[in-house]
Amino acid sequence: MNKSKIILSTIIGIICMILVCVMFMQFKIVEETDITGIEAAREEELQTMLSDSKTRYEEIEEKLVETQQKIAEYQQKIDSNEQASELLDEELEQTNFLLGKTNVTGEGVIVTLQNNEEKDISASDLRTLINELKLAGAEAISINGSRVLSMTEIVDVNPYILVNEERIISPYIVKAIGNPMYLSSALSLKNSGFIDSYTKLGKTVEMKQEKNIHISAYNSSKNQLQFRYAKEVEE
Amino acid sequence: MILIAIIIGCIIGALIGTNIPTIPYTYSGYLAIAIIAALDSVFGAITSSLKRNFDMKIFLSGFFVNAILAMALTYLGQKLNVDIYLAAVVVFVGRMFNNLGTIRRYYVEKLASNKIIAKAEAAIKQANESTTKEKQK
Repeated sequence: MNKSKIILSTIIGIICMILVCVMFMQFKIVEETDITGIEAAREEELQTMLSDSKTRYEEIEEKLVETQQKIAEYQQKIDSNEQASELLDEELEQTNFLLGKTNVTGEGVIVTLQNNEEKDISASDLRTLINELKLAGAEAISINGSRVLSMTEIVDVNPYILVNEERIISPYIVKAIGNPMYLSSALSLKNSGFIDSYTKLGKTVEMKQEKNIHISAYNSSKNQLQFRYAKEVEE
Repeated sequence: MILIAIIIGCIIGALIGTNIPTIPYTYSGYLAIAIIAALDSVFGAITSSLKRNFDMKIFLSGFFVNAILAMALTYLGQKLNVDIYLAAVVVFVGRMFNNLGTIRRYYVEKLASNKIIAKAEAAIKQANESTTKEKQK
């Protein structure tokens, strides 16, 4: 009787021990899980977190693609800017060329006009010659080393001729770069051509074609290219 | 003696439970359902002992098998994506309330019967006293 009671109480004690032990374990777990960490999270929570981060990842990837596209666009813009600046450079070069700001070389003709005992060469002769040369497509012209521009004056100031505010004297060497065929043929037309008509008048005119003519740049220190009165009008 | 065993068991269990390393939170659901099943078994045992048909084997088997079965059902529910543990909780807690009701009624009845007995005893005592007094007269 007493022995069976002892056994009974031990069994009940053990069972109580197990129950309370498990209960306290559970209490502890629940208490500790207040600190929400990934390790303590349930599978479902983890799944939702995973899907959340997946969607976020996708969003970020989209943004990345967008940003890359933008970068590509900017790159294109930069490229086009470069192209534009190249175009500008070309234009500038052309303008400089046109203004005679650069030294140039090329094929062309050299016309030499000289005073002789009978006749002197006047400014109008030179003007005519230069007009003829321009008509024949001369790209660069110089008189005695002075570059002829659109603004260049050729006037008689006895006993000199004034070109680009420089006084020059005979012989007048006019260099012109252009198609030598056109230039020479335009000048040496029979009867009506410049050479013929002027030689008839008794003036000394010589012309020769040359492969390598060097024409130096306009001496810009003379300030002739400054615009003080003319202003650009925007349309 | 049984009370002492219960108290000692509870104290030892609390000490072990607080010092044991915890299991991951994922399995705490199983543990909770096992605790509910075990508590149900304990209350069932108390009720049956009050009714004087307490059987150690039934109690022991119920204690462990119910707990394990509840955990297994919870696991199955998770696999099937059905919250079976809710059904287990409902059943076990319902039975616990039943048992608690039985226990309460037992003690209330016992108290009431004790009072009646006390009253009856008092009446008998009074009657006895009156008879002795009359005799003395």
